[in-house]
Amino acid sequence: MPLTVEIVTPDRRAYQGEADSVTLPTELGNIGILPSHLPLTSILAPGEVVVVLQGKTTRLAVDQGFLRVAADKVSVVTEAAIDEAKIDLKAVEQGEARAREAVAAARQAKEVDPAEVAKLEQILRFAAVQRLVKGRTSPGLTD
Amino acid sequence: MPKGLREIRNRIKSVKSTGQITRAMQLVASSKMKRAQDAARHGRDYAELLGEILETAMSKVGEFTHPLLTKREVKVRGVLLITPDKGMCGALNSNLVRAASEISNAAFVTIGRKGKQAMARAGRTLLADFPVSDRANFSEVRPATEYLLQAFLDGKVDTVEVIYAYFKNTLVQSPRVQKLLPADSLAAQAHDLRVRLNLPTTAAVADNRDMIFEPSAQAILERLPALFFKQAVHQAVLESKASEHSARMVAMKAATDNSKKIASALSLEYNKARQAAITQEILELTAGAAAQ
Repeated sequence: MPLTVEIVTPDRRAYQGEADSVTLPTELGNIGILPSHLPLTSILAPGEVVVVLQGKTTRLAVDQGFLRVAADKVSVVTEAAIDEAKIDLKAVEQGEARAREAVAAARQAKEVDPAEVAKLEQILRFAAVQRLVKGRTSPGLTD
Repeated sequence: MPKGLREIRNRIKSVKSTGQITRAMQLVASSKMKRAQDAARHGRDYAELLGEILETAMSKVGEFTHPLLTKREVKVRGVLLITPDKGMCGALNSNLVRAASEISNAAFVTIGRKGKQAMARAGRTLLADFPVSDRANFSEVRPATEYLLQAFLDGKVDTVEVIYAYFKNTLVQSPRVQKLLPADSLAAQAHDLRVRLNLPTTAAVADNRDMIFEPSAQAILERLPALFFKQAVHQAVLESKASEHSARMVAMKAATDNSKKIASALSLEYNKARQAAITQEILELTAGAAAQ
C-alpha cells in the first residue's frame, strides 16, 4: 500500500498525493519514509522533499515546519513550499536582493524590529533552499 | 422648464452616478472576495493539519508545562481586534466594535484602521496597531503575533483574545471572540478548532504504535504552541478579510439595486411632471385661442 503525502502551507495545499517513498529534511538530517514506517513526529528543516511514485520523482523546496507520519500518512506543515519545476531563479534572485538590501538597511537603523528581520531571514532562507533544490537538477537530467 | 423638473433631473443624475460608484465597488469587492474566501479555506487546511499534529503529539506525550500554557490571575485582558481598513461593508465594523467595547479592563492591539479609530475615540488602552494588506500573508501577520506573544510573556497582558468577523458564507459573517492564550490545554484547543471548523472530533489518523519524537518530545512541544498561536491569529485575519469583502460585496450590491430602484421611481415622477407641464401648456394655449 503506498503512502499518502500532504504538504500544506498557510497559503495553499502545495502537494497532495500518493507515494512509494518520501525523503524529508529534518533537524537531525534527511530521513526516508517507506510504507509501514513507525509513527513519527519531527521538526522539518528548510530543504528538499523528494516524493517518488512509480519511478517518477517530484522535488519540492520547503521551509521550516513540522512533519508527522502515522498510519502510512505523511503530513507536512511548513511556512512555504514550492515545486522544483515552478521555481523561477530570476524571481528568487530579485527577491533575495531586495531582502538583502532591506536587511542591510535594518542593520544600520537604530531601532531594529526583530519581527521584520525574521521575515527577511525567512525570505533569504527560502531563497537559498530554492536555489539549492533547483541547482541540483539540471534540465537535461529530469524526466 | 419648471423648477420641480430640474430638481428631479438633478436627483436622477446624482442617484445614477452613486449607483455607478457602488457598482464599481461591488465588482472590486467580488473579485477580491473570491481570493479571500479561497485563502480562508486553505488556511483552514493548515489549521486543521497543525491541530491534528498537535493532537496526536499531545496524546502520546502525557503531561507537559509551558509558559504559554500556564494560567494566571487576569488583571489586564489583551484583545486583538481585527477589522477592515475601510467602511462601506454594512454592519460589519459596528458589530465588531460593539463586541470589543463590551470587554472591560482590556488593552487593545488592532489590525485594521477602523478598529484603531474606534478604540482611540472611545479612549481605550491601545497598545499597538499593525497594518495588514489585502493579501494577508503569513509573514505580514507575524509582527502582530510576535508582539502579542511577547506582551503575554512579559506580563503586560494576562490573556490574549482575538475578536474577528468569522466567515460563515457570503451572506453571513458574525463577530467572534476567541481566547487563544493561555492555552490551558492544547488538546482542548485543538478540539475547539475542530468544532469551530465543523470537522469530525476524533483524530483522523488511527495508529496505535508508539510515536517516535525527533529530536525529542520536549523540543517539538516547546515550539508547537507558539506556532499554533501564530497560525490561529493568521487564520483569524484571513477569516476577517473574507468576511470584509463578502460583506462589502453584499452591501454594495444592495446599494446598487437600491439606486436603480430610486432612479426608476424618480424617472417615473419626472415623466409625470413633464407630461403635466405639457398638458398645462396646451390647456393654456387652447384657452387663449378660445378666448380670442
